[in-house]
Amino acid sequence: MMFFPQALSTALRPGGGSLSRPVWGISAAVFGIGLWQLVAWLVTTRRGVPFPTPIECLWVLRNLLMGAVFLEHSIYHHLQVSLVRWAEGFGIGLGAGLFYTLIAGWWRPVRLLTMPTVEVLQVVPGLAWIPVAILLFGLNQTATVAMIAVTAFPAVAIAGVMGVQSVDRRYVRAGRMCGAGPLSLFATVFLPGALPHLLSGLRIALGAAWRVLVAAEMIVGSGDGLGYAIIQSRWTMDYVSAFVCIAIIALFGLGLERLVLAPLERRTVRRWGLSHEH
Amino acid sequence: MSTEAALVLHQVGKIFPGQGRQGGITALDSLDLEIRRGEFVAVVGPSGCGKSTLIDLLAGFTRPTCGSIMTGSRPVSGPGPDRVVVFQDHAVLPWYTALGNVAYGLRRQGVPKGEAKRRAREALVRVGLEEFLHAHPAALSGGMRQRVALARAMVLNPEILLLDEPFAALDAVTRARLQDELTVLWQEFGWTVIFVTHTLAEAVYLADRVVVLERPPAGLRGIETIDLPRPRRRRDGRIIACTEHLDARLSGGLDELDGETCICARL
Repeated sequence: MMFFPQALSTALRPGGGSLSRPVWGISAAVFGIGLWQLVAWLVTTRRGVPFPTPIECLWVLRNLLMGAVFLEHSIYHHLQVSLVRWAEGFGIGLGAGLFYTLIAGWWRPVRLLTMPTVEVLQVVPGLAWIPVAILLFGLNQTATVAMIAVTAFPAVAIAGVMGVQSVDRRYVRAGRMCGAGPLSLFATVFLPGALPHLLSGLRIALGAAWRVLVAAEMIVGSGDGLGYAIIQSRWTMDYVSAFVCIAIIALFGLGLERLVLAPLERRTVRRWGLSHEH
Repeated sequence: MSTEAALVLHQVGKIFPGQGRQGGITALDSLDLEIRRGEFVAVVGPSGCGKSTLIDLLAGFTRPTCGSIMTGSRPVSGPGPDRVVVFQDHAVLPWYTALGNVAYGLRRQGVPKGEAKRRAREALVRVGLEEFLHAHPAALSGGMRQRVALARAMVLNPEILLLDEPFAALDAVTRARLQDELTVLWQEFGWTVIFVTHTLAEAVYLADRVVVLERPPAGLRGIETIDLPRPRRRRDGRIIACTEHLDARLSGGLDELDGETCICARL
């Protein structure tokens, strides 16, 4: 810390120094939007092409929110179909991941036999599944949902199995001593004990699933959805609308982290005093 | 106190498989021990003498390599709520509140939720935690967590209570208080208690009999009956004399200690 002046080192501390949390929140928003504005200005002046600015996007967003028709549908329709696809795919991936955790966490042979395959799934980029998904399901929604599921699954499964293995043996013994059977032990000891790892896996899975969704909509050609809207705006030179869709996707991801994952973490892992890094 | 045996160990041995080409590690070797119903037995000995292994075997977490362990007429075949353990590091589940932890065992026994909660609350009040019913273990001190563990054991109304150095990690004041609370609860509920400790003074103060274990192959070195009236006082000369006597015998010629003795009462 000797390189930093006192004030700066205070501000850099995780707690946020002397400023209150809302002030930091607003500052962070100003920083991000300011950066966008700066890039827009630079690109417009240097390359002579109109780069959508935050203000333009806000205006278009307002129109869209008021029900303007965009690529034959309202923005609500695009958002809704994307969300439904995402929720279906992610739900399947999450459910399968937890089920796998149950099976592989319990039976060592199953784990040894199947874990390498799950690890291979994990390192395959979500988009690489496009030809496979089209081959299996054709050019339709099912292909998109399947791609999302197969992307979310390994992140949840690997985190779950790691989490189950990390559960302290004393807790397992305490559970068995109290008369917990296998299923009960899984629900009351292994699952909560694995939650620190599972939350990390959930973060990875949520992000990956969302990315694959948008990309899949661009390529599998669904006719609606935010990804479709972004790629379609390119043909109509409607870059501002494309930016609005990108902003909606970003805000949704941020909201998910802030409104779902972070509170879940606060109410569970933090309150239980289970550290995140073991 | 009836003389009926609550626990009978016959030629119990435990060998842990060795690593690589090394042979197995003997933790316990042909141990014979009989513990009467309602008796408070302390087990002392140096680390590596198999004290914790003994608790694991009695609890049913591990199986003996040879010999048999009987509770009443049944052999121990696995963990169960009739033999509850209070662990050194309490092992209270971090994701449940104090109330949830104590009710946990009852719920697993199929006790309805409301009833389990009511009984759990009673047990927590009994160990002085009525103000912390809804606190998670992370928010409790070490002594309070151990009280939760004690309440969790108490509420299951076990025949045998196994304590594995339960107060070793606590400060002296808390330890003394919990020792006395345990004694009161034991007298009230009539459990058979097996209390593992490495502190001789604690063993003498609490127990009816002190079992002295040595590292294998020596094994069981002796059993000393502490025939002193209750309630006991820590500063009681007889307790101190008895502790010193046992200590001297332990550090001196171990050969003297063999067998079952009752020397302390005559000090």
